[in-house]
Amino acid sequence: MKRKLALLLALVLTVMSLAACGSSKTESASDATAPTETQGAAGGNGDSKHLIVAWWGNQTRNERTQAVLDLYSQQNPGITFDGQFVEWNDYWNKLATASAGHSLPDVVQMDYRYLEQYVSNGLLIDLKPYIENGTLDVSGIDESILESGSVDGGIYAISLGVNAPALLYNKTLLDEHGIEIKDNMTMDEFIDKCREIYEKTGYKTNVAYGNGDNFIEYMLRSSGKILFEEGKLGVDSAEELKPFFDIYEIGMKEGWHVDPGIFVERNISVEQEPIVYGSSPETMSWCAFYWSNQLTAVQNAAPEGMEIGITTWPADNPKAANYLRPSQFFSVTVDSKNPEEAVKFLNFFINSVEANNILLGERGVPPVASVAEAITPQLSDQEKLVIDYINNVVTPNSSPINPPAPDSAVEIFDLIDKLEERLCYGEITAAEAAQELFEQGSKIMAGN
Amino acid sequence: MTESKKFSRIIYHILVCGFGFVMVYPLLWMVMSSFKETNTIFTTAGQLIPEKFVLDNYITGWKGFGKVGFGTFFKNSFFISVVATIGTVLSSSLVAYGFARTKFPGRRILFVAMLLSMMLPAQVLMIPQYLWYQKLGWVGTYLPLIVPYYFATQGFFVYLIMNFIDGIPRELDEAAKIDGCSFYGTFGRIIFPLIVPALITSSIFSFMWRWDDFLSALLYVNESIKYPVSLALKLFCDPGSSSDYGAMFAMATLSVLPAIVIFICLQRYLVEGISTSGLKG
Amino acid sequence: MKSKSLSLKQILNEESVAGAIFTLPFIIGFLLFMIVPMLISLYYSFCDYNILSPPVWAGFKNYIKMFTEDSTFLKSIGVTFYFAFVSVPLRLIFALIVAMILFRTTKMTGFYRAAYYLPSIIGGSVAVSILWKRMFAIDGVFNKLLGYIGLNKDFSWLGNKDTAIWVLIVLAVWQFGSSMLIFLASLKQIPTTLYEAAEVDGANKWSQFWKITLPLLTPTIFFNLVMQMINGFLAFTQSYIITQGKPMNSTLFYTVYMYQQSFEFYNTGYGAALAWVMLAIIALITFVLFATKKFWVYDEGV
Repeated sequence: MKRKLALLLALVLTVMSLAACGSSKTESASDATAPTETQGAAGGNGDSKHLIVAWWGNQTRNERTQAVLDLYSQQNPGITFDGQFVEWNDYWNKLATASAGHSLPDVVQMDYRYLEQYVSNGLLIDLKPYIENGTLDVSGIDESILESGSVDGGIYAISLGVNAPALLYNKTLLDEHGIEIKDNMTMDEFIDKCREIYEKTGYKTNVAYGNGDNFIEYMLRSSGKILFEEGKLGVDSAEELKPFFDIYEIGMKEGWHVDPGIFVERNISVEQEPIVYGSSPETMSWCAFYWSNQLTAVQNAAPEGMEIGITTWPADNPKAANYLRPSQFFSVTVDSKNPEEAVKFLNFFINSVEANNILLGERGVPPVASVAEAITPQLSDQEKLVIDYINNVVTPNSSPINPPAPDSAVEIFDLIDKLEERLCYGEITAAEAAQELFEQGSKIMAGN
Repeated sequence: MTESKKFSRIIYHILVCGFGFVMVYPLLWMVMSSFKETNTIFTTAGQLIPEKFVLDNYITGWKGFGKVGFGTFFKNSFFISVVATIGTVLSSSLVAYGFARTKFPGRRILFVAMLLSMMLPAQVLMIPQYLWYQKLGWVGTYLPLIVPYYFATQGFFVYLIMNFIDGIPRELDEAAKIDGCSFYGTFGRIIFPLIVPALITSSIFSFMWRWDDFLSALLYVNESIKYPVSLALKLFCDPGSSSDYGAMFAMATLSVLPAIVIFICLQRYLVEGISTSGLKG
Repeated sequence: MKSKSLSLKQILNEESVAGAIFTLPFIIGFLLFMIVPMLISLYYSFCDYNILSPPVWAGFKNYIKMFTEDSTFLKSIGVTFYFAFVSVPLRLIFALIVAMILFRTTKMTGFYRAAYYLPSIIGGSVAVSILWKRMFAIDGVFNKLLGYIGLNKDFSWLGNKDTAIWVLIVLAVWQFGSSMLIFLASLKQIPTTLYEAAEVDGANKWSQFWKITLPLLTPTIFFNLVMQMINGFLAFTQSYIITQGKPMNSTLFYTVYMYQQSFEFYNTGYGAALAWVMLAIIALITFVLFATKKFWVYDEGV
């Protein structure tokens, strides 16, 4: 009996030590990130340095990014790469698991949505020292874009493409019926358009269904609010959240919002977005609440002869609501054995015209102005349209992006989607949805 | 008599064929879609036969990602699935014999442990397992995808084979014992040959499951050159940008083929020579 | 020398020693690969843990939260029970019938078996999710078929919260191949002499089935029932790849909810607690099944 007990105890201890091994390693790992120590770490690893770069994406991106890695190792003998690419959802799963074991890749593609989480848990290195010592040249990047990769004074991520919210619409359809869309519509103008289009064409509207988190923030920005504050929601009452849900309530009541049921039948992908896909106008939308860099994808997915237009999301105060969003950040992790080399590669990634001639703005408009200019001649018409949209429509009429979302954001985003769903299925009213979001959301933010 | 027999046979074939068609229809749709032009797959989803057959999807799909082609992914999947399956079948049959034919202290507890280990969702073990394999230095290799299977860690197979051994009369064992066979001899000479159908069944399942296994490949395989097919198939889709469904369907179609071939080759062992003698009598 | 090796041989052939040796692979495998991860996850279930930073002990907090303030937890349990208790019996009956039909050997048997087994081969890839949604879409094949026989054909099976779960149940039943294969293999184990004797006695096919086939298959039916029940409760793929719980959590499998908590909301400690509660539920059900075994499962008389 005693021996069994001892055995059990030993086992429990092993488990505890193993489960806790993460903690002891964190400290040692973060020590090694200080630039002064990097030389030792790099030297200890032998002559040839191996960097693991991870990203999510499709065939085109995988091919182009891999080609850039090859180019870099060609130009820098002794540096070898291992490119890891998986699909978006799997990517975050794999990254989280690797972080538990402290075996993150050296360079990782980061998203604005996860940035704060990874920084606050001490998984990314601060790039500021490297910017100061000149390893990472960010002189070509606009201050506000650079700023978006910073958390608590440090810079943890460099953007590889600039993006902005964009309302993509079926231009061909609207032209046929003589309906004109202008930039910077107000909310009421937008709703009127939805009604008009539904009446004239039978096409419905998809107001960011199932993806309302960005749009609700956008609407709050327009009225000078933000969704998240430290440990609580950024609004003071449910009333302030209601306008967002009102759109769905009106849309469902008046019939111009697409039926929520169709989304269960489809995969979340550009190819099956109601703007390009559907058996009848009933199941299609004239527009999609998307991002500017998705224009090419939507145009490619559109049936022949459908031209896609691009404009801003509707807002009563476009200047306050609109923003530039760094898409596709890249960060160096604390688990990197060669942070110095990783940063050097990052520098090449953003500044090299040669590299960007391969990437061709597939991740968004390159943030370094001279690079963006250099690759422009090789871009397609849509890509030029996007650059024009970013530079001439959004940039002059926007304000800085909200701080990165906190840890519990994903749970709140999910809550928003669920409420939106219940509202569209007629189970609750807009007022009830707003009330529940306010109550539940505050609870989640408070850490429950 | 013969007339009606013939008639019933025709009815049998018509029914089996007809229902079989319903069964495979969705797959047929996938195969046909793989021959459509990739941007027409959804717009022409209602019609089964492509307007024009194109092989483009197979060509772009086979090219793979970065520098790694689908040929490599197939090779990797084959290696993992075959090696892991051999381990599963061998180790599971040994353990199953132990459970079915011997009594020893702790047998019940062990059996319960085996059942319990099947009841915990695989997803919840992802992180602990990852930490453990990392301790062993196995992350980034195929070892986590292969070695555990040599230790009968899939209770399903043990229990399955056990069930079959239970169906073999014990008189055979006793006769073998009288003839001087040890437990090992009995297993090797009497039981093993008699559980071949169960082993075949297990091999088919195991191969198929290893082939489809995605989660452990995602966690433990790092270099793209080592990716198995299950992981590579998902790379055609990117929810935020363009997805190539044509290429995905094309490669998905190809990825089903090995399992079908193996099934057709092995299934005849489940038909031929209906049990030799009155084992159960 | 000789006597020693003989005694070693004898020791090895002791029933308990032989048993331990045969089961040794599992014992090692269990200790080496399973027990530690299982215990770690048990430990996590008592922690606040978000993967990215180390776990912090929180006592029974996760378990208390589950039973006091999480309505989604209850909802997903309901969905899972419904799915398991409907799909498993259907799948088994279906598998048994098809196995009986395809046990007849004709020239086409191999081909037929492959056709019926095909759906199981394709498993749970992205391809399945797309094609399955297509089949049950408003303008999909299923509605077209209904249209041919004059039924309302504009129904969104997946979009309706009462019918969406059935789309997943049908998928589970469609992939009945593994149970079928096990039935086929064990049908083969039934000696033909029994049927010959029955024929001499004048029993027709129907009574042969009830008197010989079914009783001798009960151990296999039991096995399939236990395994499929466990699988049914742990079902993940169908919901995860096709509906992700939509619409309105009506198809939210327990494991999918657990996965969301663990890997999407990063409440990994809570996810682990959910998993252990599920283990308790499944263990209880399995125990009940085993308790009923002696009433209906044919015993070899051992």
